[in-house]
Amino acid sequence: MFRAIQRFFRERNSGKVAHQRMQVVLMHDRLDITPDVMEALKNDILGVLSRYMDIDQESMSVDLEQGKDYTALISNVHIKRVYRRPMTANP
Amino acid sequence: MAGKSIVVTSGKGGVGKTTTVANIGTALAKKGFRVVLVDADIGLRNLDVVMGVENRIVYNVVDIIEGNCRMEQAMIRDRKLTNLYLIPAAQTREKDAVNPEQMKDLCAQLLESFDYVIMDCPAGIERGFKNAIAGADTAIVVTTPEVSAIRDADRVIGLLESNLLTNIHLIVNRMNYRMLRKGDQMSTEDIVGLLSVPLLGVVPESEEVLVSTNRGVPLVHNRGSHAGTAFQNIAARLDGENIPIESDNHAGLMGKIKRFIWS
Repeated sequence: MFRAIQRFFRERNSGKVAHQRMQVVLMHDRLDITPDVMEALKNDILGVLSRYMDIDQESMSVDLEQGKDYTALISNVHIKRVYRRPMTANP
Repeated sequence: MAGKSIVVTSGKGGVGKTTTVANIGTALAKKGFRVVLVDADIGLRNLDVVMGVENRIVYNVVDIIEGNCRMEQAMIRDRKLTNLYLIPAAQTREKDAVNPEQMKDLCAQLLESFDYVIMDCPAGIERGFKNAIAGADTAIVVTTPEVSAIRDADRVIGLLESNLLTNIHLIVNRMNYRMLRKGDQMSTEDIVGLLSVPLLGVVPESEEVLVSTNRGVPLVHNRGSHAGTAFQNIAARLDGENIPIESDNHAGLMGKIKRFIWS
């Protein structure tokens, strides 16, 4: 019992630590996207958005963000103005 | 009956691939199936010593592929079971003595006369891995509750999927229930959650495994062995039997209570 109390105050169980570390590591491994692919993805998103709105292309960012138990694709887009009607795909 | 070709792989070395192949193969043969084990670890032959047939090797898998012998000449019959055979790896050759296409042909040929073809894959993800998975329709990924083994297993699962081998099962080997009770090991549930492939079985860590490899007699011959029973159940599940997975309840009632309190 004493040892159990001692453990409690000492540190988290290493099994739990391992599990949490692996969640992060595996997510990163699986999302091993090369910069080229990331750039292509950004350009594609840009292309779609540009049909609907005027976008500040310089300031646009696309990043992967690692949360505790999720990974999110975060994009920041500065809109200059929105078109009344969508532009055609190939203007 | 159309046979099954199974590759046992892991990425990381030393997690128990060869032991798994020997035991699952032996268990399936004991159930009456015609089974052939193929040691695809060319250059690092091991399955023969684990099966205890190391001094009966004349020809090997490279000899079959290069046409130096007929297929039956390289097949070594098990010491106990007449429906269990082993095709050993070549010891003095390199992995690139064989290509994936040739392994695929060999597998197809073996499936004509066997119910199960089980391939022992080398560690790593290079040529030897590609050779071993080429002819398989099912993959068993072996891991242990260690971070390095789990990370490599995840990588291998990704590679299997990109090679369109999507029938993948997981075995957690060397589960140490004492460590689990102390909270110093990931649970089976943790590991399955991380890798997200269906679980085929859990094998407890056991000194009996080393004793059985010392003797060259697979553990499933040994009645009353926990690890042996685990392998037997895995073989039965492969055969389609519905046997519940051994849960981490091995930890006992006290362990459950403790884990509940500390969680």
